[in-house]
Amino acid sequence: MNVAGVATAGSSYRERLRHWWLRRLAASMEDPLPQRRLFLIPTRFGLGWAVLVVVLLLFGINYQNSLAYGLAFWLFSVGVVVLLRGWLNLLGVTPGLRLPREAFAGGETRLGVILSARRDRTALDLHCGGARGRVNLVDGRGETELALPTPRRGLQPLPWLRLETRWPLGLVRVVAWVRHDVELLVWPHPVEEDEPVMHHGGTGLDASDFAGLRRFQLGDSPGRVAWKQWSRTGVLATKVFSVPPRQQLWLDYDACRGDPERRLSVLCARVLAHHRAGDRYGLRLPGLTLAPGEGEAQRRRALEALARFPAIRPAGVA
Amino acid sequence: MSASRPARLAVLADGRGLSGGMLRQLFIGQCLVLALHLAWMPAWLVGLALAVAGYRFVQLRRGLSRAGILLRLAAVGGLVLALWLQFGTLGTMDGLVGLLLGVYLLKLIETHDQRDARVVVVIGLVTTAVAFLHDQGIPMAAGALLAVAWLLQSLVWLSGATGRRQAWRETVWLLALSAPLMALLFVTFPRLGPLWSMPQMDQASTGLTDEISPGDIAELSRSDARAFRARFEGREPAPEERYWRVYTLSHFDGIRWSRATPDQLAATLERPVDAFVREASRSPWEGQERARFRAELLLEPDSRPWRPSLGTPLESESRQRYLADGTLEGLTPLSSRSLLWLSSSGAPPTQPDPAGSRWHRLLPDDANPRTRRLAERLWRESGRDPDAYLDAMMARFGEAPYRYTLSPPRLFGEHRVDDFLFDSQAGYCTYYASAAAVMARMAGIPARVVAGFLGGERHPDGHFTVRDYDAHAWVEVWRDGAWQRLDPTAVIAPERIEQGPQAVDGGAEAFLADARFSPLRMREVRWVNRLRLEWERLEYRWQRGVIGYQRESRRSLIAQLVIGWREAWAWLDARLPGRGIMATALGLVAVLVVTAGLAWLARRGWQHRQRQRDERWLVGSLQAWLTRHGLAAHPGESPAAHLRRIAPRAGPAERALNDCAQDLERLAYAPLEEEERRQRRRRLANRVAEVRRRLPRQRRESGGAGV
Repeated sequence: MNVAGVATAGSSYRERLRHWWLRRLAASMEDPLPQRRLFLIPTRFGLGWAVLVVVLLLFGINYQNSLAYGLAFWLFSVGVVVLLRGWLNLLGVTPGLRLPREAFAGGETRLGVILSARRDRTALDLHCGGARGRVNLVDGRGETELALPTPRRGLQPLPWLRLETRWPLGLVRVVAWVRHDVELLVWPHPVEEDEPVMHHGGTGLDASDFAGLRRFQLGDSPGRVAWKQWSRTGVLATKVFSVPPRQQLWLDYDACRGDPERRLSVLCARVLAHHRAGDRYGLRLPGLTLAPGEGEAQRRRALEALARFPAIRPAGVA
Repeated sequence: MSASRPARLAVLADGRGLSGGMLRQLFIGQCLVLALHLAWMPAWLVGLALAVAGYRFVQLRRGLSRAGILLRLAAVGGLVLALWLQFGTLGTMDGLVGLLLGVYLLKLIETHDQRDARVVVVIGLVTTAVAFLHDQGIPMAAGALLAVAWLLQSLVWLSGATGRRQAWRETVWLLALSAPLMALLFVTFPRLGPLWSMPQMDQASTGLTDEISPGDIAELSRSDARAFRARFEGREPAPEERYWRVYTLSHFDGIRWSRATPDQLAATLERPVDAFVREASRSPWEGQERARFRAELLLEPDSRPWRPSLGTPLESESRQRYLADGTLEGLTPLSSRSLLWLSSSGAPPTQPDPAGSRWHRLLPDDANPRTRRLAERLWRESGRDPDAYLDAMMARFGEAPYRYTLSPPRLFGEHRVDDFLFDSQAGYCTYYASAAAVMARMAGIPARVVAGFLGGERHPDGHFTVRDYDAHAWVEVWRDGAWQRLDPTAVIAPERIEQGPQAVDGGAEAFLADARFSPLRMREVRWVNRLRLEWERLEYRWQRGVIGYQRESRRSLIAQLVIGWREAWAWLDARLPGRGIMATALGLVAVLVVTAGLAWLARRGWQHRQRQRDERWLVGSLQAWLTRHGLAAHPGESPAAHLRRIAPRAGPAERALNDCAQDLERLAYAPLEEEERRQRRRRLANRVAEVRRRLPRQRRESGGAGV
């Protein structure tokens, strides 16, 4: 049951009703699961167990067999106790999320779920979207990671968490839905360009501290040759700067080709590549310009800008 | 060979398939369930279980593919064939039980995932219940409890237990928590009669037959199997009164005495059946007869619906078939032990048999001529007085060299009474009863043979056990408007009546010939006999209280409970001052307050224990204690520094204080293993206690020095 799908769509009446209903049923994040948000649902095996008890009871009645009566009653009582034990296994568990640091479209991301409780718990199953995991709480704490698929770019609400347990006999499923408003920003799917990188804007001659001269070597950039020195002394020398100027780059949406998503993917790949190379770069998107910068902060800013870039119909751009 | 056994039991080997450990778990469960059946079922089922387990073992080890449909079909076919060869048919209960067991064992072949495993466990539970058809004794119940616990533990594993200890703990919790509810349901659930008829187990019949023919072999069962048990309310019968009537045998064909059932009588005499038998809870035949014995009978299952009664049955708590000859039948045979409350007269019936006196004088004309001559002679000598004739006949049994033996010579002739009376002159009860009845009839006195039990072992707790070897036969003759009991065996072997069959000829050897390993053989060894009696007492209580807990006993128990509750209420009502709703409410509130207080105390104690394991709490309390004794910490001083500072002045407590400080620091900062952490906490608690013990003395001394 994908609760998130419901939450975003909300189009039809039935969907809205279901959403409202589930919202009423769901527990909230970071709080111990309360009694009124736990639901006991018999499993198929549980129904089979009921049939077993009835069969044994009929057996006892028809054969006037006291021990068969006793066994039927005991199995019935075990079924009742299982309700209680399973309910107590989930009651009071505090769910918490640890969001993934980065998520790219078209892949999957690891969503951390942290469960804590005062007592130890056994075999808690986690469902989130299509992902599932199992946690045992030892010393009151347990965590796991769920592999969530991220098909699309952009801000996405995470599916609601479903916590359930079939402990101890698998007769009954104790279920709690945990609602939250956590949204995950999914970055575009990075696509490497199949054409040479085009440099735009400045040539990279950014002012930097002048450190002195050295003898010209073949291959030095003509822009760095100290021409004045040459005119005075006739010796060809090259200016040396203390920090070699890095390339200053502009990553431009308009300079890319293809539909908007492809352009964003290409830009994403380039942001990653330049960040790896330690370059300084800026980003130009229609309606948004990110000043050149470098480092982790710039990378995050750029990728977030790409992720949040509103989806435009290809026709509108062309 | 590449697959190595997992060190820990994992349910699923590769995410879906069951691991070898889980299969082993299921297999052990199968063995436990099979063990419950093994005493009654063919032994080759063990081989089947081992073969299936071996197959799965090899399959898992070698990584072979799953069993195909052909193999599975062949296995089921083989099972059916083997059962058919064993029992001749699959329609009997034994065949069906065998089929269920076999399917349960074979299911392991195709057990691959969690769902299959659960199915196996459920079949196991059903098979456990079916084992109760064989027996419901204490050993069976204990074995079944073990098997059920194991099966539940398998389910706990399947639901994701992480360790053996956890699985067992959860299982024990489940069983323990559900036991009270089970007991409540067991007591209160209404007991219904059978809803529809089911195939029944072939129950062993007791040594009682409805046909006796003196001279044939192997007709007296000499086993120690229990026939029934009885407990008397009020007076208990003396040994010579313990004549349990079961059948009357009124038809004699010259060789054997046989029973005429009400249907046979009705057909022969062309009378309606209800002239011979009526279904009621009170005897319709006996008028104002006084009930002398009131007994609670715990009957063993039997394929025939006979019910014993001490004398003539008069009244029962449930509907029974009262026969006109003063015997009793149940409505159905008993498939399991059950209770019967019965009042009886302790004497033969006083009403004439509706079959008429002619029926009870019938004899074949030409049989036993020598006996006939003897009868005529005695009849003449006694002056044609029936009473004198019967006395003379009994006296003759006492005088002539008759011998009571449980292994008499076989008789082959056509005139068996002649052969017995004049030639062999040795036999047991049926020989004498048959001869006496024949002689009575020859003199025109209505007579019949009664088959039943005589005696019974009285246990120290007051209940009687009647066994197969207590079976007995005697004669009833119609005299003076009533049936009179006539027991020739009492004349020949009075000790048989007084002390039971083991007292006579051959003793223990003969009467237990069919029970080689019976503990009854060890009657002479005192402690063995005591143990046997104790065990039988326990068994009797179990059978009576638990197994015999059917409709009547439930009704009486519930009635007792209601009476008890009313009495308690009346008692409470009389004691309480308000004598009304207020008093009750106050009482309830008091009970609630006390309960809540106890719960609070228990919780507090538990929390205290939890806290004591916390080093910060421990040291904090120690510091508070030190402050009260004038050794307060300086502001901003850490606990460890505080303890270290006062240590040099603490004399005998110095070492303990230093240790405390060190343990506290290590617990707070060192990366310790859980085990070491626990150890240090314990040590810290001990040290804190030590400081408290040692410090005061020192302080008083130094107090004088002017601190």
